[in-house]
Amino acid sequence: MSSDLLHELEEYRLAARLWLKQYAATFGIEARRRLSVDEDLELGRRWMAVKHQHGYSGISMPKRFGGSGLSQLHQAVFTQEEMAFNFPTVYFSISLGQPVPIMMHYAPEEVSKKFILPALRGEQIWAQLFSEPSGGSDLAGLRTRAVRDGDHWILSGQKLWTSWAQYADYAVIVARHDASLPKHKGLTYFWLDMRTPGVTVRPVKLADGTEDVNEVFFDDVRIPDSQRLGNVGDGFAVAMHTTIIERYSAGADETGYGPELDLFMAQASRSRLGGARALDDGRVRESIADAYRLQQGLVTMRSKAFLSAANGEEPGAEGSIHKLVSARSRQKLSELALDLEGPGAIYTAGAKPKENWVASWLAAPTGRIAGGTDEILLNIIAEKVLGLPQDYRPDKGVPFDRM
Amino acid sequence: MSILHTDEQKQIGEGALRFVQDNYSGTNLKELLEATGRYDEAYWQACRDMGWAALAVPEQYGGLGLGLIEFNIVAEAVGRAVAGAPFLLTSYAASQAILLAGDESVRSEVLPLLASGEKIGALAFAESADPVPADLTVKLASDRITGVKRAVLGGARADIAVTLASRDDKAALVLVDLNQKSVTRELLSTYDNSRGFADIVFADAPARLLTDVDADKIAWDVLDRVAVALAAEQAGGADVCMEMARDYANTRHAFGQPIGKFQAIKHRISEMYVANQIAKANCLEAALAFTSGSPHATSLAAAARISAIKAYDFAAREGIQIFGGIGATWESDMHLHMRRARSSAAVFGSRFIWEDRLVAELEAKR
Repeated sequence: MSSDLLHELEEYRLAARLWLKQYAATFGIEARRRLSVDEDLELGRRWMAVKHQHGYSGISMPKRFGGSGLSQLHQAVFTQEEMAFNFPTVYFSISLGQPVPIMMHYAPEEVSKKFILPALRGEQIWAQLFSEPSGGSDLAGLRTRAVRDGDHWILSGQKLWTSWAQYADYAVIVARHDASLPKHKGLTYFWLDMRTPGVTVRPVKLADGTEDVNEVFFDDVRIPDSQRLGNVGDGFAVAMHTTIIERYSAGADETGYGPELDLFMAQASRSRLGGARALDDGRVRESIADAYRLQQGLVTMRSKAFLSAANGEEPGAEGSIHKLVSARSRQKLSELALDLEGPGAIYTAGAKPKENWVASWLAAPTGRIAGGTDEILLNIIAEKVLGLPQDYRPDKGVPFDRM
Repeated sequence: MSILHTDEQKQIGEGALRFVQDNYSGTNLKELLEATGRYDEAYWQACRDMGWAALAVPEQYGGLGLGLIEFNIVAEAVGRAVAGAPFLLTSYAASQAILLAGDESVRSEVLPLLASGEKIGALAFAESADPVPADLTVKLASDRITGVKRAVLGGARADIAVTLASRDDKAALVLVDLNQKSVTRELLSTYDNSRGFADIVFADAPARLLTDVDADKIAWDVLDRVAVALAAEQAGGADVCMEMARDYANTRHAFGQPIGKFQAIKHRISEMYVANQIAKANCLEAALAFTSGSPHATSLAAAARISAIKAYDFAAREGIQIFGGIGATWESDMHLHMRRARSSAAVFGSRFIWEDRLVAELEAKR
């Protein structure tokens, strides 16, 4: 066991916690409560600037790109600590989590240097244009076309479920450059300026009333070949590289980003069932016990994965298990909390899922779909961990345009 | 102490797994299933020879001085084998009870016998499904006890039992020699016969007082630890069910393909894996909590127990389903797991009991 590294990480954690504390009043949940989304985003930009000034934005990015040059484990430690404060970081998590590291890996250094610093400071936001109406879980089924035109490419088609595209300055995109190839082989990866003519962003209002995700339309959008990332035909491989970059599920929340179990216990103490406290009802007790044991199990698995990583071992399927278990558990607990509260449960737009059962319940389906559906996660566990065969895939090896 | 196993702990685990793999198949257990009160003598001898009986007994009492973490590692391995005798667990339980309730003289006299395996211990707390009865019918008067303890795990063979009795309406923990005339055992024919369940009848039997102060609280403290050790056993069994189902799904063909290609099958096996991982994580965390004296030890023990019950039930039940008809035959080993999953779920307090204990604990800590 590399006890030096562990010791260093613990010290880093304590320093980060202490540092974060002094900003709680300015950037924390109380300060954010009455803000519109635009105001919250502005507060977030200020927070990112403060973070960067103190070396806490781009923790694991090399120094020459404006990062702090520390390990991914340092980044994971900081994210865990930061999560407890509920700062407005959500607008930047995808930007810095996927597109920016991909740029660093695949774009020429002088290009990366120009873009990474403003992203780390929260001045610019990057989006990831992957999913489409016909390519979500089956990403390689995407249909947005990239047609070569001299030293340019012309993009046309539609992306969907793109988080924060309405605020994005730039984006990375996977598109189909050759439909005569099998679906995984005909894809190429690019980056683009979201202000390029022909790009239209339209927010999609989700079931909970939020508009975090968008549909993005491409009407003959011209981008230079110099904005290609990786070789022609390597689009799927570059997209998959994202998952390797994101090896350590940094800030995973055992509640599935819903309310803490204690909030449910409080509700169960207040509500009555059959003349007694709901908390004394066996069905309610079973639900509490299940939520507790699942959350605790995930905490332990995460610590274990973290220490294994500090030991230099490759992470296993913990990330998939974490999301699968926590998202389902949150949905169930949220349903039950509303049962206990009765039909008058109050919901005001903008209520945060971590504090409000209605908000948590309304957004829970998204939690089980975004970033890998339950079914995809179960497939990953079955195939990658347990060595079970892939599903029947009649489209394998078949040219995309003949499917 | 760390959440990652040390090299020494890994060695214990590898040794236990190798021993279990080399020596155990379901065949010998099936013979035991059809006989009342029999158990796998050779397996118990091996537990003694391997030093497992001594594992968690402190060194000054002739043990190896290791803790619940190491005991769990062995328990998980023997759980994989659906071991044909419960004495490792019941002697561990008795030794923990003596450590928590007994004074120095009883510790130094009895613990070495349990550590060497010369004597087998058991817990006789329950009189029905309730693991720590509030209205005890077994009575203690003038250092003698009278009454019946129902379905004592390992009771068919145990030499001594830490017994919960009431004296003047107050709970007391006593140590009773089961090999005396005033104690009789009624062997029970159960669905998991090698567990040696027996009713034990005390007729004015001499008993040695361990404590009459907070005896039922101490009884629960003992059960918390036993629940974790048993949970590790259950998790081991659940893992084997998952592995058997996986291997079968990889080789069995139907409709022109391995059945593991069907998501109805593969997802269920993934769910088994997830449930088992959760159970094992909780077992580990609970063992660490007892070793470090964490205030969350009871909650984590209950979490481990409930997770392991659910995981083993699920893996055994759905494992059979994945095998189809062949899984439901006597010849298949799957029913051994189905039986063990249930008997382990029912002993030392069912899931309902532990859910109540967990929530009461969480409420007290709010």
